[in-house]
Amino acid sequence: MSNPTYILRYFPLVGLSEACRLLLTAANVEWTEEHPEWPQEKPNQPHGRLPVLVEKNPDGSPDFIITESCNIERYLARVYGFVPADPKQAARQEQICELMADVFSYLSGYIRASSDESKQMFLGKFEALLETLIEVQTKLIEGNGNNGRQFGDSLSYADMVAYGFYKKLMIAMARFDANVPKFVKSKLTPKITQLIATVEADPLLEKHTSKAESLAAAVSV
Amino acid sequence: MPAKVNCKYVLRYFDRIGVAEGSKLLLTAADVEWKEEHPVWPQEKHKQPFGRMPVLVESHSDGSPDFVICESGSIERFLARTYGFIPNDIHQAAIQEQLRDQASDMFAAFISQLVAKSEEDHKENFAKFEGLLTKLVEVQTKQLRENGTNGYLFGNRLTYADIITYAFYKIILVGMVKRQANIVDVVRPRLTAEIVKLISTIESDSLLASYMSRSDSLAAVVRPPAKF
Repeated sequence: MSNPTYILRYFPLVGLSEACRLLLTAANVEWTEEHPEWPQEKPNQPHGRLPVLVEKNPDGSPDFIITESCNIERYLARVYGFVPADPKQAARQEQICELMADVFSYLSGYIRASSDESKQMFLGKFEALLETLIEVQTKLIEGNGNNGRQFGDSLSYADMVAYGFYKKLMIAMARFDANVPKFVKSKLTPKITQLIATVEADPLLEKHTSKAESLAAAVSV
Repeated sequence: MPAKVNCKYVLRYFDRIGVAEGSKLLLTAADVEWKEEHPVWPQEKHKQPFGRMPVLVESHSDGSPDFVICESGSIERFLARTYGFIPNDIHQAAIQEQLRDQASDMFAAFISQLVAKSEEDHKENFAKFEGLLTKLVEVQTKQLRENGTNGYLFGNRLTYADIITYAFYKIILVGMVKRQANIVDVVRPRLTAEIVKLISTIESDSLLASYMSRSDSLAAVVRPPAKF
């Protein structure tokens, strides 16, 4: 039975969907991106937002459509085996991904805030939680046998989400505030840099990484 | 799915109705032995794996190491999957989980407008909160209708989606009222009859009786005021 094919609807940016792109690539399925006219296409999306994932099945059954970026990432990871089915092992990876989402939402708050006071508040929270995240991830990598991975010995959901997360911070957010990549780079540990390099070099991701901007280059000394 | 034997839970959080509420409901519905802990804060921050709460600790009578999980959504999904409140089918699970992510985004916007430091930030964030709430109500109502308006979002018994839907309205309309008194007047008129029915259905579910008996009623808050 042939695999489904996918359409990822998003804005043409390294935004919230980089990890989705990595997961689709690693899954080795046929997929394309659509960049809906915005906001004209807003009412046509399940939650009025992007990203949206459309799964088209070869048996002709109706398209399966889901939304919410973290949900799409978890779905692809589960279907294509990049996260274990066991709820405990899955939770161990999901909590790291949820922590990354929380760090990013503080950063978004900082970027979007109008007043200096709000900006300072969000910046403080972003910096503190990023340091916590880096410490947690560094310990994970060290405890995982120092193989440049957070979990196991092959490309995982959490590693792809981590790569997408650091790419957002180092490359996507640079256009809003050049200080962000500077700060992030100053906090990265060698283990995180190793994680980024390991993911970027994975043969499963070659189709994507060969035509995308190199994060490993952006974080290297 | 039968309840797991020989394990019990501790849920660490602040002593308030917040993002751990969904987990409290799930632990109740799972009919497992569990209790809340309210670590002294911030003194016990460093003892938590991510320096934050909630934290779930699963301990085992056979002496195997505790299983510790952080982050409210991950805790909820772990409990829901382990105790059978979310389908094993990955497609169906994703349909329920996206409702949680949508509600959580709405709640994050609510918090942003609450803590906004300037009038301009408050207005912007409030507008965002209202927009997300409107869409959330629309999506929930559509699903409730498609499911036959029986008070449940899916099927005819309590699921993860019902629990988190109830939980997020509870946080805002009961938990946060002290911090923003007018929030009931903002949210209640927007709730459709279908959502009000879900809230009263969940609140009277026998699986949740022990939680509901010691918690303020959300159904009482959302009931349309009597007209004289």
